[in-house]
Amino acid sequence: MNLDYSVVFAKIPILLEGCWVTLQISFFALLLGMVFGIAGALCRISSNKVLNSGAFFYVWVIRGTPVMVQLFILYFGLPQLGIRLPSMVAGVLGLAINTGAYITEIIRAGIQAVDRGQMEAALSLGMSYRQAMRRIIGPQAVKFCIPPLVNQFIMTLKNSSIASLVTITELFRTGEQIIYTTFRSFEVYTAVAVFYLIMNSVFMVIADKLERRMARQ
Amino acid sequence: MSCIVEMKHVFKSFGAVEVLKDFNLQLTEGEKVVIIGPSGSGKSTVLRCINRLETIQAGTICFEGQEINDQSNLCALRTHIGMVFQRFNLFPHKTTLENIMEAPLIVKKMSPAEAEKIAVELLARVGLADKRDSYPRELSGGQQQRVAIARALAMNPKIMLFDEPTSALDPELVGEVLGVMKDLAREGMTMVVVTHEMAFAREVADRVIFMDQGIIMEEGTPAKIFEAPTQERTQIFLKRIRH
Ligand SMILES: Nc1ncnc2c1ncn2[C@@H]1O[C@H](COP(=O)(O)OP(=O)(O)O)[C@@H](O)[C@H]1O
Ligand SMILES: [Mg+2]
Repeated sequence: MNLDYSVVFAKIPILLEGCWVTLQISFFALLLGMVFGIAGALCRISSNKVLNSGAFFYVWVIRGTPVMVQLFILYFGLPQLGIRLPSMVAGVLGLAINTGAYITEIIRAGIQAVDRGQMEAALSLGMSYRQAMRRIIGPQAVKFCIPPLVNQFIMTLKNSSIASLVTITELFRTGEQIIYTTFRSFEVYTAVAVFYLIMNSVFMVIADKLERRMARQ
Repeated sequence: MSCIVEMKHVFKSFGAVEVLKDFNLQLTEGEKVVIIGPSGSGKSTVLRCINRLETIQAGTICFEGQEINDQSNLCALRTHIGMVFQRFNLFPHKTTLENIMEAPLIVKKMSPAEAEKIAVELLARVGLADKRDSYPRELSGGQQQRVAIARALAMNPKIMLFDEPTSALDPELVGEVLGVMKDLAREGMTMVVVTHEMAFAREVADRVIFMDQGIIMEEGTPAKIFEAPTQERTQIFLKRIRH
């Protein structure tokens, strides 16, 4: 055994920069993914056939293809059609489209888990569909959505490592670059893994607190 | 007396299942109608067509002379028609007071102070003034149903529809809900009540309707329907629920 973690310690500042980029990608991908997911879910439960089948198609295609292929289409494929996205845009957008499909399903299931009588009661009082969704159904659906959403957020943070393949220097790619110069694969990859674990753990703790507070209400 | 609801030649089906077949019903202002009939005969569907929770395939339904199929003011129509459900359907994430205030605030755009005043009055009226800050899950079924009635009344409806309001309740809690409904009847509210509480029907109803398989089989005063039904189906049904 000739493990030497001093190499890793020396590179901690650079690895932290990689973490920061990873967090940024994940944050914006999730933010945008939530927008796609909420819109997708509302379309999925809509009685409008076009919206409904559009959202179904979106979820079907995205869930049925690898996220890496989706990202490559955006970054390496689109330029052939004259659309050249900066790597950061392609990375965030690709991850957002991907996670948005899963979030669509999570939110749709959450909304449908709310008792049907709630919508009927709201409508019978004269509320519009929108008012009922926002004031009555939405707040109750949130409770059902949080656990699977936490899961999805964690998946997205881990999937963000794929952004390294479209030349974004996030945590994983930072690690690879360190390996090019130090040849310390084992030490660096395990360090990278630990950093992912730490980021996700912080997030899990926050999510757990949130869930507990929601359960109390 | 003017006609408040008029259903003419209404047909309603769910897919291939025909639920209402050429259904006709006229309700006069201030009238109390009790609908009875076997499960699946279409009683709930009639109520749900009146406030257009269900759309009909053919026929007309008028509310105060206005055809309700005119989609444009559906929300306005529903504010005039209160509905009470078998399973209460209170909003679980809101307190009793908030449940009652919600529609006046959101639909009528009342000020919070005004909405609260109405809600407090209504809670007192249904005998639950001390439960204003409780959540639905902290109330008994009977209390929940009284809150649900108060919630519907907060919109100041012209007619109240009750769909088996006491069937989900333990027997000892039925009385308190029927009591509130009797008060409401005394105050002159137009009411359509689907219920098998015959004592209530006898005391309150101007007219009892027996429905079977999507049509009105027989109707008349409570005395006529309960003591001297002419249709064999009515007789069989009454015999069954009396046990
Ligand atoms: N949303 C629905 N989808 C399909 N069938 C329904 C629906 N609602 C009611 N039905 C059917 O319509 C018939 C009448 O139902 P309902 O009006 O609820 O009867 P009742 O209230 O008299 O028990 C039943 O056969 C029921 O199965
Ligand atoms: Mg029913």
